[in-house]
Amino acid sequence: MTAVQPTAVLSGRYQRAFTIAVVFLVAGWHLGGAGGQLLHDQTAYASFAFQVAMWLVMALAVAAGAILVLRDTPRGEAARSQATRGKTPSWPAAWAVALVALAASTASAAASPASHMLAENWAWGSAGWIGVLVLLRRRFSELAWFLAAEAVATLSVQAWDGLHRTNLAGFLALFAWSTGAQVAVAAGVRALDLAADQAAAAARRENAARQRAAIAEVIRAARHSRWLALQETAVPLVAELAAGTADPGDIGVRIRCAVQAARLRRLLAEGDEVHGSLVHELHASADVAERRGVVVEIETAGSLPPVPAAARRVITDAAIAILTAAHSRTRITLAAVTAGIAVSFVADTGAAVRLPAAGEGVVIEQQQDDGTLWAEARWDGR
Amino acid sequence: MGRPVTVFIVEDHPVVTEGVASWIHSDPGQRVRLVQTARDLSGLRDVPPEAADVVILDLELSGELVTDQIPGLVSAGYRVVAFSGHSDPVIVMETLDHGAHAYVSKEEGREHLVEAVLAAAADRPYVTRSQARAILDDQRPARPALSEQERQALLLWFQGMSKASVARRMAISENTVRQYISRARAKYAATGRTAPSKDALLARAIEDGVIKPAEIMQYESFARAAAARPSLGAPDS
Repeated sequence: MTAVQPTAVLSGRYQRAFTIAVVFLVAGWHLGGAGGQLLHDQTAYASFAFQVAMWLVMALAVAAGAILVLRDTPRGEAARSQATRGKTPSWPAAWAVALVALAASTASAAASPASHMLAENWAWGSAGWIGVLVLLRRRFSELAWFLAAEAVATLSVQAWDGLHRTNLAGFLALFAWSTGAQVAVAAGVRALDLAADQAAAAARRENAARQRAAIAEVIRAARHSRWLALQETAVPLVAELAAGTADPGDIGVRIRCAVQAARLRRLLAEGDEVHGSLVHELHASADVAERRGVVVEIETAGSLPPVPAAARRVITDAAIAILTAAHSRTRITLAAVTAGIAVSFVADTGAAVRLPAAGEGVVIEQQQDDGTLWAEARWDGR
Repeated sequence: MGRPVTVFIVEDHPVVTEGVASWIHSDPGQRVRLVQTARDLSGLRDVPPEAADVVILDLELSGELVTDQIPGLVSAGYRVVAFSGHSDPVIVMETLDHGAHAYVSKEEGREHLVEAVLAAAADRPYVTRSQARAILDDQRPARPALSEQERQALLLWFQGMSKASVARRMAISENTVRQYISRARAKYAATGRTAPSKDALLARAIEDGVIKPAEIMQYESFARAAAARPSLGAPDS
């Protein structure tokens, strides 16, 4: 099964893509739009060199802003531990870049010829876009304040130069056009962020649903195999008892019944995924023997490693065989040994017990001393 | 065999006291004699350490665990065999560390209590299955290092085999099995807090050749105590 991609990572990737788009937009505007206008009108300025210097300052602000938002946009491992939404640049860094751009824009406007200020003011648009870039994912009101401050600064420069009615109309038109576009982009990115969150959540839900389906299939298969196991052993016995071909008075039949009863209990216990499930399953296996009056003690030593289900079944099969043969007492111990576990049985079976086959990494040994059986099933986890 | 080993029982449940007394009486060799019983530790005031070779102490008296009273008893010169319904390895370890000679759980009493008392009277180690379990369970960084053979003998003993079966399984003599198990116990007597009873156990183990002084980690503490207590061993030896 593949790991579910955390929603934060998925939506973080989308957000990063939007950020890169905005970076290209802002850089493209500064290079093509503002730069083109600056070159086109180069003879109109009192000092072309000063305008170029301001343009370079703002180009640096664009670069700084790009680094700021791309570095802080979640990516890779670091993002997994972060909150769902991507980190935004801290306010001192974001505002430092924005204010540098605003200052350069205002200085550039102040140095422009008064009559042509609006037509030849290349810097206004760039400053606004830089504000959008760095304040994109901060509170919307911050961007509004920045754009308002920029408008006031530009208007003040115009008022200083002597405000004409035509200039004011031009200012308002330009303000509506450029600020409108900037606000629209910022709002659009916000909407896309939201959509990305939803898309990521949907992807995660789908993935989780697929995983649940896979788990359900595994559980179904396990149930089916347990049912098949019962078909082979318990069902024929019940059928024989019902048909009267098996005599409950016969000791052999009674032993078969005890073994099947213990197996049924174990199958039920196998389903419970409790901690220390081997101990739990051994207790379940011991239950039938205890009803027969056999005293069963189960003790553990050391911190026991988890044992895979197949190996547990080999061990509990041995336990069932021994518990069924025990006359009056059985001591079961589980001890942590190097790289595995040693499950041992000491029981008064009277004679050697035919133990089921070892396997699944379990080695079974036994020794018989004067009617007492010692057997050890050792599982090696290496 | 000399005079019987004298024993004092501190146990708050009279039924248990009677049970212990009956185990003592049914010992074929009558090797142990019960001299007095008490329901709490204040009963020990009238019984000086010389009056009883061994004190059988129930670890829970009137609902309270008294393991932290053991160091005081041991310092006063009593030999303590703890007898308890608890078999939590941590409590077993603490009891031994505090200087009890042996630990016998109530389930093991019939089989092991009389033997444990006899061994304690001779300052010899006696390892019950619950002690073996606590040793196997021990994960403390300061635990003594056991050899592979000692560990295997302890494991088989914990599993429930008789010492004869352990010997057969390991293809060694029963005496060697006892030696491995006793040595593991002696190593524990050499670690942790110091107590006269632990020093006595160690000294006896060295005398019996169970353990060599070089195998003892804290040899110094033993030497100090041995110098201070020239008379070692049990009254009957």
